[in-house]
Parts: sequence; structure tokens; C-alpha cells
Amino acid sequence: MNWLKLISTFSLALLIVPVFLLIYEGFGPLSEPIGYSYEVFRAIELTLISSAISAAISVAVFTPLAYYLARNKNSLGETLSAIPASIPHPIIGVAILVIVSPLTPFGRFLLSIGINFFNTYLGLITALTIVSAPIYINSMQLFFQSMNVAHENYALGLGASKFRTFVSVALPNSGRGILSASLISMSRAMSEFGSISIVAYYVLQQPFYGVSPAPVLIFQYYTYYGLGAAVTASAVMILVSIAMMIILRLVNHDNSK
Amino acid sequence: MIKVELKKRLGSFFLDAELSDEDFICLTGKNGSGKTTLLNLIGGILAPDDGYVMLNSKQITNLPIEQRHVSVVTPDSCIPHLDVDRHLVWGAMNKRLHIERDYIAEVKTGLGINFSGKVSKLSLGMRERLAIATSLISNPELMLIDEALSNIDNHPDFIDAFKNLAAKTRIDVIFTTQYPDDSIQSDHHYRLESGKSVRIF
Repeated sequence: MNWLKLISTFSLALLIVPVFLLIYEGFGPLSEPIGYSYEVFRAIELTLISSAISAAISVAVFTPLAYYLARNKNSLGETLSAIPASIPHPIIGVAILVIVSPLTPFGRFLLSIGINFFNTYLGLITALTIVSAPIYINSMQLFFQSMNVAHENYALGLGASKFRTFVSVALPNSGRGILSASLISMSRAMSEFGSISIVAYYVLQQPFYGVSPAPVLIFQYYTYYGLGAAVTASAVMILVSIAMMIILRLVNHDNSK
Repeated sequence: MIKVELKKRLGSFFLDAELSDEDFICLTGKNGSGKTTLLNLIGGILAPDDGYVMLNSKQITNLPIEQRHVSVVTPDSCIPHLDVDRHLVWGAMNKRLHIERDYIAEVKTGLGINFSGKVSKLSLGMRERLAIATSLISNPELMLIDEALSNIDNHPDFIDAFKNLAAKTRIDVIFTTQYPDDSIQSDHHYRLESGKSVRIF
């Protein structure tokens, strides 16, 4: 008997069975029409767009940090970059609100120049970026560490600065890694609830005025309409998430060829 | 003129090497004798535990790779996404050098760069020719060639052409090789034995 296969199958089932059970119940016995409502699809649309933007911000802002951490031993930097992923996410939400609190001088200053995180796209995307960026950084750091540094050492020996080597040698060969890491980051952002339930329970800006992110809406449905509505909306959201995961696997598959 | 006295411990291996010469220097030794470690120390890829690297009377021991004027070429050395012609001048462009077209043509002819296309699509031998040509055109003070001649066909002829081009631009070269006969073409020959350097000539 292949015990390793048996144990692996069991542990995989532990992860997957509740998800498939929820899909079955959501589209079957517990199905509620409100779970397929326009409001649900708008919420999923908002979640997809805001998560994609947060992933794009992670790529633009955090790729150099991931490269730096991959090429230099820096335990402090690694620890600091992982902090947002290792503390309860409602704390991130509270921290973001404190930044723009009218109770602090800095918050009053930001509000006076029109920067507000509360129930805005800015707040939603900031929260999603902070909670998902550590995962992006970690994925890209591992990717850069797996690259052959001979190309970079050669470029440095040809007189290129470290930044030029990053931009002109490492980055052009990192397309697949960036795509894969940004999809992981986006998946993580799509599943975020803790911080955005505090910062952006709903968005009060067009074109998604009054729309809640999908995880928040599912929580609302659970508290307002009960289990059936929440399970149905969750099943729809899970199908979207599975589609994302399939894309991710396809990218990784191509990457490993 | 390159002058080094370097010590480096890597696990149970201990390198204790000295080298003081110029022009075209061949470095031989068995696998694990410390050839790559020595070149990485001279090139700044590794930091020594003790010792120094002097290049043309300048102390470069603690300089970062990009400020040493030392180019390290291994079989993996290339910038894969470039095409051949851009690759050839990439290092010279970094250093803002003005390179005459005739010189580029001379290097291409001498080193057998009679191919084009994207670097990642080239054979290993072609990439090695290109990496060495690019390094020559970038005009370093020292080139370190770590086993990057072995996949080149007719490599005795290639070594001759390379040696002439390096001498013309007064670039010192240290190259490691699996073939002891290659040392005949060099001006000086060192052998590494269990981390200790021995000057043969």
C-alpha cells in the first residue's frame, strides 16, 4: 500500500471537501435566489477589479524589494516585510483608519488634502495591497533566488550597476515569475475580509457606489438573510476563485516547462 | 598586472593562493582544487577571509563587482533576452565607451561570431564565444574565464585569436581549463592543488 499517497489524499480531502460541499449546497438544497442577485455579481466585480489593482501595485512597488531580499542576506527586511501577513487583519484595517483619523494631526492633514481611506477605493485597495503584498514579496523572492545568478554577475562585471542589472537582466527574464506571484497575490486579496470589513465595508464612490466587496457582502447576507443566501453567494464566489486558481496552475505549468 | 594573495575557507575546503603575473595566464587543477573559488574571489563574487587583490597597482579587494573593471565569464554568462549585435556592445554601453565599428568587426571575425539572432536560442559554444567577445569589447582591465572555452570547437585556434585581441587592448586574462595542453598557449601557467597555488612558469 502506498501510505504516502493515502495520507496525501486524506489531507487534500480535508481541504477540498468543505469547499465542494458548500458549492453543492449553494447551488442545490440551500440555494437562495438572492445569492445570484445583481448585487452579488457587482460585489464580485468590485472584488476582482480591486484585487487586480492591488496585485498590479504589488508588482510595481514590491518587485525591487523582493529582488533585493533575494540577493542580500537581510533578516530584518524579511521579517518586516512579513509583518502584515502575520498579524490579525482587522488590526491592519484599524491601522489604516488611524492614518486618516481626524483625531490625529497627520490624519487631519491627509483629510484636508482629500486623502481618505474610509469607504473609498483608496482605502479598499490600500488594505488589499498591504495584506497581499507579503505573499507577493515571498513568492518573488523565491523566484529570484531560483534564477541563475551567472547572468547577473556577468552583467555586473560588464560595468552595469546593481539597479541596471535588476532592470535590464533580471526583470526581462522574470515575466512568468511575476505573473505567477501576482496571481497568488490577487487570489489572496480576493479572499480578504478582516481589514476591508473595517476600512471599506462598502465603497461610497462611483461606479461601485454602495457596493460591498464580495467577502463582506457574504457576511452581510449571513447576518441579514441567513445561511442559505450566504452559502449560495459563497458558491458563486468560490467558482470565480477556482477559475483564478486554474489560471494560476496553467501559468505555473507553462513556467515549469 | 594582477597580484593576489587570498585565503578563503568554504566548509572543509581551504584556499590559500598567490598569483602575481600579467598577460595570458592559464590556471589548471583537478575538480575541487579551488579554481572557481579563486576566480570568484578575484572577481568580487566571493569575499575573502583574508588577503588582497591588486589590479594594475590598484587595491580592488573590497570593491563591488561592477567597480572592479574585472569581467567574469562562465559557460552561463550571457544576457539571454538580447540579440547578438546588442549583446556585443552591451557592456561598452554601460561604460559609455565609444567603440569603433572596425574593432567590433575585428572581434567578431577573430572570435568566429558569424551568427545572429536571440542569445537564448544560441548553442552553448556560440554563447561562450559571444560572452567573451562582449567582455573584450567592454574593455575591462582583467578577464576571468572560468571553463568557458571548453564548449568552443577548434578551441586552440580560438585561444590564439582571443589572446591576440586581449594583448592588443592590454587586457590581462586568467582562464581555467580542463585541458592541460591549453597551458602551452598561455604566457604563464599556475596549478592549484587542494587549494594551494603552484606557479609552473
